[in-house]
Amino acid sequence: MTTLVVGGAASGKSAYAEELLCARSGTARRVYLATMEPFGAEAEARIERHRALRRDRGFETVECFVDLPNAAIPRGSAVLLEDVGNLCANELFSPQGAPEQAARRILDGVERLRTLCRELVIVSNEVFSGGSGYENSTLEYLSVLSYVNRKLAAAADAVCEVSCGIAVYHKGERVR
Amino acid sequence: MIFIFGPLWSGKREVACTILGCDREELARRAVWDVQELARGREDLEALAEELSAHEIVIATEVGGGVVPVDRAEREARERAGRLCCLLAQRADAAVRVFCGIPTVIKGELS
Repeated sequence: MTTLVVGGAASGKSAYAEELLCARSGTARRVYLATMEPFGAEAEARIERHRALRRDRGFETVECFVDLPNAAIPRGSAVLLEDVGNLCANELFSPQGAPEQAARRILDGVERLRTLCRELVIVSNEVFSGGSGYENSTLEYLSVLSYVNRKLAAAADAVCEVSCGIAVYHKGERVR
Repeated sequence: MIFIFGPLWSGKREVACTILGCDREELARRAVWDVQELARGREDLEALAEELSAHEIVIATEVGGGVVPVDRAEREARERAGRLCCLLAQRADAAVRVFCGIPTVIKGELS
């Protein structure tokens, strides 16, 4: 089953997504597919802390900053992909990215994850309600991310929006 | 009139086409969109809402979810956009919020 979890900054989407995956993963290996590129010592320390916390909850961490179709994911695992907003930004703006194929790469990568893993929870970002008064590169980012979100929502079995830690389902429902 | 709103590029026009069973070209004749922009600088929002309500479908983008703009004109435009949306939702037979391409009817029902 594939669930798309969308929310704003500090909406509780990560905690909800993690709890959902743990509830649904059964005996499958739990994989946290991390997308945030570590910039500097502060970020590295933060990432290491989160990694240790997840290790305690039985997650192994796989890093994937760009090129999702080539992420090293064990077959039959339960995957938490966090998050699509980072992947989009990395594809568009990082030296290793592929700006022209950003959406394609992410959507193909998710499609492959769906066939590979037993359970998939995807975290994405709601950043589209603050107007459109941005510079061009930001607008391009919003345009790509909104397209990817719509495509992911169409393909997912369930789609929910998290605010204040509460999930409201727009499509499908929570199973268990 | 059906009022459709939702975040930027959330698939509102696509939903409108599905509701009317028409393509984008026909939609341009039967619906109006980006009406939040029309509220900018308008004092008579009631009249604007009344005028827009003549369309089968009115579409607005949510713009009130960010930080309060520093610029006074932008602040006012955002206020007016929000108030216009409230007036349109009041007049609407049905109001639909679109999220990631998925419509949710939050007032009335689609016949």
